Amino acid sequence: MSPTSPPLVDVRGLHVRFGEVEAVAGVDLTAYAGQSTALLGRNGAGKSTTMRVLAGVVPPTAGTVLVAGHDVHQHPLRVKQAIGYCPDVGGLVPRATPWEHIQLSARLRRMPAWEDRARDLLERFELGDVAHRVTAGFSHGMGRRLSVLLAALHEPGVLLLDEPFDGVDPIGVEATLDVVSDARARGACVLVSTHLRELAVEACSTVSVLRGGARVATMASSEMLGEEGARAYRGLLD
Amino acid sequence: MPTAVSSTEGTVAAARRAVADVGHLLRFRAAHGRKGLTAAAGLTFLALTVTIAVLPAFLPGAGDDTGGARDLLVVLPTALAGFVLLAVVSASASGGGRELLARDPSAIFPISPTTDHLGALLLAPLNIAWMLQAWALLGVTSYAVGAAALLPAQVFLVLWLATGTAFAQVLAWSLEGVRRVPHGISVVRMLTVAVFGVALGLQVSNNLVRFFDQIPTRELVVSMAFGFSTRWAVTVAVTTVALVLLVALGAVPAHIAAHRTPRDELKVESGHHEARVTATTVLGAMVRTDRASVWRAVPMRRGVMVLALGPAFVALLGGLQWETMTILPGLVASGGALLYGVNAWCLDGRGALWRESLPVAPATVFDARAYVLGEFLLTASFLTVLVAGLRAGMPDGSELTALLATMVVVVVQVVGASMRWSFQRPYAVDFRSSRATPAPPAMMVAYSSRLALSTTMTGVLFSLLATADSPLVAPLLAVPLLGWSVARLLRVRTAWSDPFQRARVVTAVAVA
Repeated sequence: MSPTSPPLVDVRGLHVRFGEVEAVAGVDLTAYAGQSTALLGRNGAGKSTTMRVLAGVVPPTAGTVLVAGHDVHQHPLRVKQAIGYCPDVGGLVPRATPWEHIQLSARLRRMPAWEDRARDLLERFELGDVAHRVTAGFSHGMGRRLSVLLAALHEPGVLLLDEPFDGVDPIGVEATLDVVSDARARGACVLVSTHLRELAVEACSTVSVLRGGARVATMASSEMLGEEGARAYRGLLD
Repeated sequence: MPTAVSSTEGTVAAARRAVADVGHLLRFRAAHGRKGLTAAAGLTFLALTVTIAVLPAFLPGAGDDTGGARDLLVVLPTALAGFVLLAVVSASASGGGRELLARDPSAIFPISPTTDHLGALLLAPLNIAWMLQAWALLGVTSYAVGAAALLPAQVFLVLWLATGTAFAQVLAWSLEGVRRVPHGISVVRMLTVAVFGVALGLQVSNNLVRFFDQIPTRELVVSMAFGFSTRWAVTVAVTTVALVLLVALGAVPAHIAAHRTPRDELKVESGHHEARVTATTVLGAMVRTDRASVWRAVPMRRGVMVLALGPAFVALLGGLQWETMTILPGLVASGGALLYGVNAWCLDGRGALWRESLPVAPATVFDARAYVLGEFLLTASFLTVLVAGLRAGMPDGSELTALLATMVVVVVQVVGASMRWSFQRPYAVDFRSSRATPAPPAMMVAYSSRLALSTTMTGVLFSLLATADSPLVAPLLAVPLLGWSVARLLRVRTAWSDPFQRARVVTAVAVA
């Protein structure tokens, strides 16, 4: 897989407006198969809104957004079939169990034999013991881990992880990094939105920095490494 | 600046602080509400209340010693006691009453249980059952005493409504305290069954009327119904003192309950549910998830039982006949919708974003939500009618078809209105708490009034048709009514397919 193939995520001039507030103000973004891209930026930079647009949850106010070759505005259902999405907040139905979440996702995606993969993922994310417990009583970290699991369950072509490391313990972080790595290996396009620079660098090959609802830079993640990378990142945020 | 109640703070200072905090919370809520809408709802409520309290006193026959006015005066003591009973049931079912500020956002503020108690007292009238009872009492009193004794009677009545509500609050907090000890839930259930058992026993042994005659509220009616007098002044003074004492007393069980763990809520949060076979259809899968969200929520489980069985037992004790039973489905369906239906999309909570990212047609999501709401309301209505009809014998053809037609029409009517409001005004609500309501208090009043009005009118219409010669009359009239409600429901379904509108709803319920 190389950037010479058509991008799996192709965003041009994306604008999202909520009343008077312009959450995204002209984002351009391309991401390719086998590539993982981190969206970095401060709170309110437009990362989560961009991810919601890519997931087909929020329609764009202006601009063109193609995911797996489908226009999110024209064919939201096809986009939803192609993606796996871990939302930034919660992402879980409070009174359903993890297994019921998995079952619903598998049913709607017409997955044939999904149980073994589901059990394997539950073990990897250390959620096997609570697979039949309602998620209302889950800790924040448990909820995040389950959200990543649900996004990855059906091995989507485009994996969208919004703040997947937020409040997650080291084992959960490791499992999430494995999910990202597996997805890249099978040729999926991965987008990770986070404000944790070190983990973004570890998980992704490319980094795009958003500021004030627009993309201000895209670079190889190696350029964000160490003290120098931290200084460069701070420079982009201010 | 202090940020929490000091352990060395005196009782009076703590009480003052609690009262002041109620003011702060009210202002905080008011700042977040839609001021125009709240003011309009408040003014409508006030105008309606004053009209109901005054107008009947000037109708022909009002205040007469004979006829309807006399009959109403005779039943007034029972009605006063009935109001208190209903207030107790209502406050207990909602785990001690409604919250001024929901649990999660209030967690960061030093809000004392006394403030919580006072807030619950203030919000108690914003409830369909409380309002209907209060309006009925005001109207009945007005007609029964007539213009001459209207002012003293209504002054006392308002005081009684406040005192009854405060008493209910004390009992509700106490029951909540008991419910939170080991085996407390079973104790409260057994207590409830025992109370209903005694009531049924009195009815079966024909002692119910004698029991009602001995209720001490009769003395109160004698004091209030004959104008200003020393007796009236003493009664008002004693009731006022009782009100103050009960309001203060309520803080004690409120503190006790607050220091105990809400067991039923914890049980639901840690509940295990074994895997079931995967649903065969997409709609089936969506319905199953929605059903779980409804039936596993404490406020819905408690609420629907009270709602279904409360009116049913009242009807059973009162010997309600089939032709008047058409009033029940509307009442139950309206109450059921007020448990969650008027804000149906909030069921998914923060999971709404994930659910919206699933590859399923918006219409299927809508159908599942509307179906589960309809099923919830129909189950409650059916249970009510089933229990209420136990002593009414076999209905004739017209009565049966009128009742069935009412149930179907009001349920579709209520589902249509609920789905419309859910779409227009979504709110983020956490249904983990048994005290949660699906919308802010002012909106709940507006929803309650509109639902009560439309479903009561439907119920009255079908009660007339229950006496028709042919059993076909009710179903024939039901067809256009159903057609109208279904058309309105379909309009909302079409609007739901707009991705911009859907995103507005989903982000509102998920990102609070």
